[in-house]
Amino acid sequence: MSVRLQIEDVTWQVGGRMVLAGISFEVREGEIAVLMGLNGAGKSTLLDIVAGLRQPAGGDVRLDERSIATSDPRARARLVAHLPQAVRPDLPFIAGELVLMGRYPHTDRWFESQQDRNAVERAMRRTGCWDFRDRLVQTLSGGERQRVLLAACLAQAPKLLLFDEPSTHLDIDQQLHCFSLLREECDRGAACLVVTHDLNLALTYGTRLIVLAEGRVAVDLPAEAAAHRPDWLAHFSPRLTLSTTPSGRPWVSYS
Amino acid sequence: MIGVQRHAGRWVAIFAAAFCIAALLLPFVGPFGLSLDRVRARQEPDWSILVHLRVTRTLLGLFAGGALALAGTLFQAILRDALATPYTLGISAGASLGAVVAIWLGWQQFAGVPAIWLAALAGAGIVLALVVGAAVQQRRVSSFSLLLSGLAANSVCSASIIVVFGLVSTTQSFSISRWLIGSVDSVDYAALGSFVAVVALAAAIVMRQAKAWNLMAVDPSWAATRGASVTRLTMSGYGAGSLLTAATVALTGPIGFVGLVVPHLIRTRIGADHRVLMPCAFLGGGVLLAGCDAVGRILIAPSEIPAGAVMAILGGPYLIWVLRQRSAA
Repeated sequence: MSVRLQIEDVTWQVGGRMVLAGISFEVREGEIAVLMGLNGAGKSTLLDIVAGLRQPAGGDVRLDERSIATSDPRARARLVAHLPQAVRPDLPFIAGELVLMGRYPHTDRWFESQQDRNAVERAMRRTGCWDFRDRLVQTLSGGERQRVLLAACLAQAPKLLLFDEPSTHLDIDQQLHCFSLLREECDRGAACLVVTHDLNLALTYGTRLIVLAEGRVAVDLPAEAAAHRPDWLAHFSPRLTLSTTPSGRPWVSYS
Repeated sequence: MIGVQRHAGRWVAIFAAAFCIAALLLPFVGPFGLSLDRVRARQEPDWSILVHLRVTRTLLGLFAGGALALAGTLFQAILRDALATPYTLGISAGASLGAVVAIWLGWQQFAGVPAIWLAALAGAGIVLALVVGAAVQQRRVSSFSLLLSGLAANSVCSASIIVVFGLVSTTQSFSISRWLIGSVDSVDYAALGSFVAVVALAAAIVMRQAKAWNLMAVDPSWAATRGASVTRLTMSGYGAGSLLTAATVALTGPIGFVGLVVPHLIRTRIGADHRVLMPCAFLGGGVLLAGCDAVGRILIAPSEIPAGAVMAILGGPYLIWVLRQRSAA
């Protein structure tokens, strides 16, 4: 399995505080790496750096062996899709138009081709939002909007998916659906780096768990190993215990 | 097909037709009734009034309105705020102050370009940098502080124009009065030609990037992660927007509300896709301003109401209506 993403000794500071004090890890093809940590641990910042939205103070990020610092934004957007925490357009865009924007790095035509529109329809059907393609984004509920943004990322046909809390606003069924889609993408050779606070979603769908604490990678474990070594839970709360469901799956419960 | 794309051609054709009809008909509107027969026979004064006064004035109104509406659409996309226009941001006032200072100091030309144009461009650029700079907080532009700093810039520039007005000679003060409230007046064909060339160039730069403005109007990070070069886009947008505003203000003075009313009306009908919105806003803005000017010519004839005043009387209530709708949402 080839390495899609290499993060090497990345640092970031704000107001004299080291938010990221030398982060290094790799994400390979087919992996869902789940990035976790307490609020303010720098998860979103790290995702922003990988997406090219922020310049790291030090270190390097490489996609398919090429440093993102030197790559052209369009070429990068053909490889990487970033799902932000929130997007609220004030102007009256409709859902289909937002998803169509995912095709921006792929086409030079003034209006997108039939092929682009097919990709949009496929993505919107997969996330279950094709039915409201003509509705204004402003009038969608939080969950509906999240599915539209998800579709926009899928329509971008990326090799690396960076998802910042993709399950926000989604009901339980949609959360599971969202992570199943990530699974499908990774089975097709993509890699995924996803931020979530839901430890059970992480255990169920992640192939690797990465916990950031005090600016460093505190834990970097394959998901199977994490199921047998509950010590990483201490980074979140002392009130967590790791148990096993009747079907044999690991499960985090609160006490 | 998705969204307005399937009707894109139809909408642009409708607006282009309105633009052409306005260009053909509006020159015949005015306090002095032109007779078609006399014009056809090239008889005076009808022929001269038509060719040297009304045609240039109509064309100036069409292209000035188009430039202002396009600049409004552009600033709204860059700043993601439906109330951002050259006028509300104070850019028109800055350009006016620049023009007035050039007249006061007696500057004529610089490198073959009229000094008024350059001074207006400098004024527009300075105010834009100050207003946007003041409104940026942690890489985000707050709509509220944007409008307040625009208001402040407007007050300072208008007051300064009044001060200069008091300092200059009577003949100069006559030529300065245009920058108190904007109006569309007859210009000579040479000035009209350079104006149309500048507007066409800036409009082409802006509209070529229409797909990228869609991305920017959603969010700058959204744009960046779909592959747009955000910094370069923003800079070229501010540059082209200042150029459109300054070129217009140099000939018409500050005219408000075109950049607010036109994009807003068109967006509510056909949506926010800038590939369709921008050409329609340009054409529609031209029709609206040239139309307002024609109305101003005849409403209290033989006196005239400046087009800027007609626009303000219509646009003020429209702004209140937009604000009310917005707070309801």
